Amino acid sequence: MLTIDDLTVRYRTLGGEVEALTSVSLFARKGATLALVGESGSGKSTIALAAMGLLPSEAQVTSGRGLIGDDDILAMTQAERRRLRGTRVSLVFQDPFAVLNPSLRIGEQVGETLVHHRGFSKEKAHARAVALLDEVGIVDPAVVAHLYPHELSGGMRQRALIAGALAAEPEVLILDEPTTALDVTIEAQILDLLETLRAKRGLTMLFITHNLGVVKRIADEIAVLYAGQVVERGAKDDVLRAPMHPYTKGLLAAVPRLGGKKKQLAAIPGQLPDLRVPPSGCRFQPRCPFATPDSASPQVLIELGDRQVRCSSATQLRDTAWPEAEEVAPAAASRPPDSRTIVDVRDLTKSFGRGGGLLRRMARASQPPETKAVDHVSLSIAAGEVLGLVGESGSGKTTLGRTILRLIEPTSGTIAVAGETVTNKPQRALEPMRRAAQIVFQNPDSSLNPRKTVRELLGRPIVRFGLAALADIPARVDALLDLVRLPRHYADRYPHQMSGGEKQRVGIARALATQPRFIVCDEPVSALDVSVQAAIVNLLADLRDRLAVAYLFISHDISVVAHLADRVAVMHRGAIVEIGATDAVMERPQHPYTRRLLAAVPRLDSP
Amino acid sequence: MQLEASRKPLTLQLKVGLAIVGAIVLLGLLAPWVAPHPWDTISMRTRFLAPNATYWFGTDEYGRDVLSRLLMGTRLSLAMGVGATAISLAIGVPIGLASGYFRGWVDEALMRSADVLMAVPPIMLGLLFLAVTPPALWKTALAVGLVYIPQIARLTRSVTLSLAGEDFIQAAKARAETATYILFREILPNAWPPLIVEASLRVSYAILLGSALSFLGLGAQPPSSDWGLMIAEARSFLDRAPWIALAPGAAMCLLVIGINLLGDGARERLDPRLKSRVAT
Repeated sequence: MLTIDDLTVRYRTLGGEVEALTSVSLFARKGATLALVGESGSGKSTIALAAMGLLPSEAQVTSGRGLIGDDDILAMTQAERRRLRGTRVSLVFQDPFAVLNPSLRIGEQVGETLVHHRGFSKEKAHARAVALLDEVGIVDPAVVAHLYPHELSGGMRQRALIAGALAAEPEVLILDEPTTALDVTIEAQILDLLETLRAKRGLTMLFITHNLGVVKRIADEIAVLYAGQVVERGAKDDVLRAPMHPYTKGLLAAVPRLGGKKKQLAAIPGQLPDLRVPPSGCRFQPRCPFATPDSASPQVLIELGDRQVRCSSATQLRDTAWPEAEEVAPAAASRPPDSRTIVDVRDLTKSFGRGGGLLRRMARASQPPETKAVDHVSLSIAAGEVLGLVGESGSGKTTLGRTILRLIEPTSGTIAVAGETVTNKPQRALEPMRRAAQIVFQNPDSSLNPRKTVRELLGRPIVRFGLAALADIPARVDALLDLVRLPRHYADRYPHQMSGGEKQRVGIARALATQPRFIVCDEPVSALDVSVQAAIVNLLADLRDRLAVAYLFISHDISVVAHLADRVAVMHRGAIVEIGATDAVMERPQHPYTRRLLAAVPRLDSP
Repeated sequence: MQLEASRKPLTLQLKVGLAIVGAIVLLGLLAPWVAPHPWDTISMRTRFLAPNATYWFGTDEYGRDVLSRLLMGTRLSLAMGVGATAISLAIGVPIGLASGYFRGWVDEALMRSADVLMAVPPIMLGLLFLAVTPPALWKTALAVGLVYIPQIARLTRSVTLSLAGEDFIQAAKARAETATYILFREILPNAWPPLIVEASLRVSYAILLGSALSFLGLGAQPPSSDWGLMIAEARSFLDRAPWIALAPGAAMCLLVIGINLLGDGARERLDPRLKSRVAT
C-alpha cells in the first residue's frame, strides 16, 4: 500500500551536504501499522515528509520512489501531489499545540480539506467535520466545532488533528510522533483511538516514534532506522523479543522497565556518525560491542526468514544479548538508611493568579480565581535519598521543585534545607542554602548560557562561593568534567558545539560544582534519546552513590523514576496523592489516580 | 577545535557595507591631509565655480572648495552619529535590562516614561533640548542621543524578556547571583546581536537628525562644515549652484546606506547559535 523504494535524500546545509537517508526501502501492508523507530537524526521525519511529498527545497532526492498504491509521489508535479494529499494520504504531526491555526475554529480546520479538495460547500463541510469529531471520540462535537484551538486540551487537539487527517478519507495515514507531546493517560487514549480507526477504516499506518513501549502497543511490523539506513525489519514481536541487529539490542536494553531496578541501564556509548561523509562500512561499528573486522565492509540487508538485518554477523549474534552493565555496587545497594533529613517541606502552597502590572490590576474589574499550583504539600528527603516525583503536565511538579529552592516564592508553608528554615529569610540571606541545594534542568539548550564556554560555566559557581583559589579553578573544572565523564578538552567548548547528552552532563557538572547535598532534577532526561537517557540516568545514580547527594527527581516518565528512585511521590492537581517506597507504589498502588497512571504507561514487558 | 566564524565567507552586503563605511571613516580621519584645498579659506574670486578639474565638487558662495569641506564635515557627522548612539546605548540598555528583568512597577514606570518620550516627534524633542541654551555640536549629539533612548530601551527590554525565561537565568539565581551580575554578565552578552543591528540603524538616524537640527540652526554653527549646515547654507543658491547642496546630501545618503548594510550583515555573524556545530 505504502512503499518506499530505495530512497536516498540529501540535505544542503551550511556545513555541507548531509545524507539523511541512504537507499531506504519500506513497505506497509494494506490495513497494517508499520512502526518506524529511530533516535533523533536517524532520518525518520525525512521519510514522513518524503512520503507526503513535502520535502523542503534544500532536500534533494538522489534516487528512489515513494509509492502510494501504484503512484509515485516523488515523480509527481506539485499539483498532483496536492491532490494526492487531499485524497489518499494524510499526515498527523507531533505537536498539536503548534499545528492548529489559533485563529480558526476547530470545525473549519477539520473540514478545510473537504472544501479545497472535494468541492464541499461550507455547510456540508461543517456537518462532515462534526461527524468526524464524533468519530474520533470528542464529546459534544457540535459545540467543539465552534471552539478555537486554545479552548481545547492537548488530547482534544490531537483528536481534532486526527479528525482533520481523516477528512480526506485517506488510505494511508502517516503519524509523526503523534503522542510524544501528550501525557501518558492521554497517550493511551489516542493509541486506542488509532487502533479502532485502523480496524474500522482499514487504514494503512506509518507510525513514527522513538518510544518502544508505544511500538509494542500499536505496531504490526517494525523498521529500525539508524543514521539514515534501515538496520532491522520484521514482525513486532520478533523484533522486540529477539532483536538481531546490535543497535536494536542496545536500544531495547537501554529502556528502563518498571520493576527492573536492580541493574544499571545499558547505555550505547558514542554518537551518530557524521553524515556529511557517511562511513562506507557498518554505520554502527564505532558504537558496537560486537564489531568484527567484517564490519568495516559495506553492510547489506540480510534476509533471515521474514526478518531483514543489516549486519554481516547477524546469524552468529542471534542469541547474544547486549552486554550487561555491571551490577550496582553492593556497598551502594545496601546503603545504610540515612536518618538525617536534608529537605523538609511542611504544608507548602503556591498560588498563582493575581499578577500583572499596576495598570492592569486597576483595569481588571473582577479578580480571577487563584489557582493552586502546589496545594498543601508536605514531604521530606533524607540525605543521599532519591525521591521520585511523577505526575502529568500541569500537575505542579516543576513549580514544587522550584518553590523548594525558592526560585519561586511560596504562598504559605515552611521549607527547611539542611536543617535550616529558608522560608522566613530574604533572598540575600539564602547563600548557605544556595550552596547546599542545586538544580538540573530539562532542556539542555536553555540551561547553559550560549555565550559562555564550559570552563566559564563550571568555574563561575566555584568563584561565586569562593570554594577554591583562582589558581585552582582549572583543576576543579577538570575534576568536574571527569566526574560527569566528559573529556577535559571540552572545557573550551561552547554549548552549541556539544550534543544534547553532553550539554546535559555539563548542566549536571555545574550543579555539582558547589558540592551540594541536594539537587532538584527537573525532567533531566526527558529531552534526550533513549540511549543517551540511559547514560545520564546511570551517571546520576553513580553520583548519588559516590557523593551521597539527595535528589528530588521530577519526571513524567514513570519507568525512569521507578528505576532511580528510593521513594516515589505521585502528584495530581497540585497535591501529592500518594507517597511511598518505589516498589510498594509500583506494585500496590493505593490511590485510584496512581493506578490509572500506571495502567496507562506503554510497557515493553507487558504480556 | 576550529572556529568557523573566521572561515565563513563574508556576505555581499557585509562586504559592500564594510567598503563604504571603511572608506568614509578613513577619508574622515585623513581629511586634513587628503583635502585638496584649505576647507575654510574664503576667496571671492572663486565663488560658485561649477565642478571642474581643480575643484572636483565645485565651490560655494564664499569660494571655498566643497570637496574639502565635505571631507572635514565627515568627522563631524561620524562623531555626531557615534556619539549620540553611544549616549542612547549607555542609558537605554540599562533601562531596558532593568524593566525586562524586574517587571512589575519598575517596568511600568520606565516604559510609560519611554512612551511619553516616544509620543513627541524626535525633531520637536531635539528642539526642546536645544532651544533653551546656545547651540553647540556636542549639545546636538547629546540631544539626539537622549531622543533615541526609548527605542533602544524598548528593544533591550523585549530581548531581556525572552532571555529572562531561559533556564540559565534560573541556574544563576540558584547560585544566588546578584541582579547586576545576571543583567550584565548573563543577559547582556546574549542581547548584543539585535542591539548592534539596532545601534547601527540608530547611528544613521542620528546623523540624519543631527544634520536636520544643524539645518535648523540648532547644531553646528558657521563656519563649521557640518553636512546639515552646508545644505542649509546652500539652499539659497539651489537654482544657481546646486552642487553645493548635492554633495553633502549624496555623502549622507552613501554613509547611511553603508552603515545599514554593515549592521544587517553583522547580525548574521554575531549569533553563535547560527554557526554550525563543530565535528569532533
